Amino acid sequence: MPIFELGEVKIQVDEDGFMEEPEAWNDAVARALATTEGVAELSENHWKVIHYLRDYYAKFGIAPMIRKLCKESGFSLKEIYEMFPSGPAKGACKVAGLAKPTGCV
Amino acid sequence: MTKKNITPGDMARQNGQLADLDQSKFLPLPPPYDKLELEPKIKPLTAEQKERYECSLDGVSAVMIPKPKSEEEKKVLVDKFLSGLKKLFNREDNWTFLQALVLTMEYCAKCQTCSNACPIYQQTGGMEIYRPTYRSEIMRRLYKKYVKPGGRFLSALSGDNIDVNWEMIARLIELTYRCTLCRRCAQTCPIGADNGLVTHELRKLFSQEMGITVKQLHEVGSVQHIQKGSSTGMTPAGFTDNVEFMEDEVKERTGMDFKWPVDKAGADVLLIHNAGEFLAWPENPEAFAIILEAAGISYTLSSDLIGYDGVNYGLWYDDVQLARVALKHIETAKKLGVKKIVIGECGHSHKALTVIADRILTGDYNIPRESSFTLLNEIVKSGRLKLDKSRNEEFYVTLHDPCNVVRLMGIVEPQREILRAVAPRFREMEPHGVHNYCCGGGSGFAIMPNTNFPDWRHTVAGRAKMKQILDVYQDVIGPEYKKYVCAPCSNCKGQIRELFNAYGVFERCNILYGGLVELIVNAMTDIKEPFLTWEWH
Repeated sequence: MPIFELGEVKIQVDEDGFMEEPEAWNDAVARALATTEGVAELSENHWKVIHYLRDYYAKFGIAPMIRKLCKESGFSLKEIYEMFPSGPAKGACKVAGLAKPTGCV
Repeated sequence: MTKKNITPGDMARQNGQLADLDQSKFLPLPPPYDKLELEPKIKPLTAEQKERYECSLDGVSAVMIPKPKSEEEKKVLVDKFLSGLKKLFNREDNWTFLQALVLTMEYCAKCQTCSNACPIYQQTGGMEIYRPTYRSEIMRRLYKKYVKPGGRFLSALSGDNIDVNWEMIARLIELTYRCTLCRRCAQTCPIGADNGLVTHELRKLFSQEMGITVKQLHEVGSVQHIQKGSSTGMTPAGFTDNVEFMEDEVKERTGMDFKWPVDKAGADVLLIHNAGEFLAWPENPEAFAIILEAAGISYTLSSDLIGYDGVNYGLWYDDVQLARVALKHIETAKKLGVKKIVIGECGHSHKALTVIADRILTGDYNIPRESSFTLLNEIVKSGRLKLDKSRNEEFYVTLHDPCNVVRLMGIVEPQREILRAVAPRFREMEPHGVHNYCCGGGSGFAIMPNTNFPDWRHTVAGRAKMKQILDVYQDVIGPEYKKYVCAPCSNCKGQIRELFNAYGVFERCNILYGGLVELIVNAMTDIKEPFLTWEWH
């Protein structure tokens, strides 16, 4: 498995840079992963999205529907793309330490 | 360097890549994609990927086969392959498709009618390794040498000899993931040989006997489906939460306020969607709910483990996984006491649950299974919905035929009758119906994102479909005309979305894609606002 290393952070990731061991996630990991998504600094809005994703994931074991994410976080899809350029699934979920989406999605 | 005339024997070559992909030799696409620079490029694998994975077939890695670490490890794999090969031809071990497989091995006149039918062979300008009979000839030589009595002796004499080593097996694994199992080849064969089946049986050997599969199909596919309830990872609680959200959304979008029937014992119909719809295209299950509610159909969804995800990835690579999932689907229906199961807009789940699983669904497991296309057509024809097709008049519509439903099950007309009733600007691609071309995402390709395989899928596997879509809209190709590709299958929708993204089709040509039910709801006069939103998703 590839290793992703930045500063103090050293984690195992898959081919697309998603965490292999999501339990190793913490704020520093999120900041490090964000750099791979072209996000130099995580703003308050970024954290709002990240925390919503993580809370939902902890409860249901899966990422929320994208429309639900928009509705509950209060951001439009466009705004989420502005925050996470590769989008909610490939970008935001990756930074939030969620598993890569699977199945016919 | 690759040599010109590649033969089956070359599969066992020790060094180098067997064939090179040359995009300039691929068949041209219609405007505006008649310039090579507008096409996505097939990226070479990185040095790290080449180091880690077997990729000596064509420089693409779909399966990410790890390189064995020692000669002993290679020998173990070769032995497993050969014993698995024998099992494929043994009635006790392979009762599902044995007869068709043996007939295909024994009879092939090498007339190459199938090569003309294969979109992958054709679209690459005739790459020998992709020829349907190339793959089958390898299998045939293996069968003659290792399975038939006296085969080793006779093979050596005949000139049809084939060597088995790890290099050959690794190339063959990748080669079985260069065919979408669309089975145009089988459809056209004058003597009924089934080259698509050969691909399927080889994938099965790799999975069931050698444990070599594609992660997205197996580990986080069918295994996750059985453990968590869905290949998306959706748990029953997650499903229930999604249904609640979709109920709210329907209310907001249409003003219709109703509870979706979930786990309603004694309903006539159990409706099973592909769970990917809930996450990626919720407007599809929403449209189903609206139609069935308005038509007064007695039905239910299920929140039972597996009961809310109709996919069955085993269809593509593993009979055991297929059977496990199919039985669970039936048990869900039995528990609810429904009269029949209706399958949503998912092609492979149609074929898996209605046709392929039929042989294990005996006695009280033989609950009738029906396509949603026929039920929807009955509803549209019955007059129970108030429809005004002029509501779909501002855009053109064409229909993509999912291979599993159309060529492989013969369901051709119901979806067309619906479109004629709700879409005044419906036009057919050529060829269509049972002669359609695969979207390029078939047999699991649409959900396989590994290394540079998506590039191959966009430029090779999906090329014939891309050409068909551009051709059918050539007279209105500019972005000033709105155009829709109706693809009533989750897997096809996923592939068409990826294709359109890779080529920038929505921006350049204003072609949207989506399902069938969305068009029906968009024509319902009871709903004030248009149901279809012309936004990329």
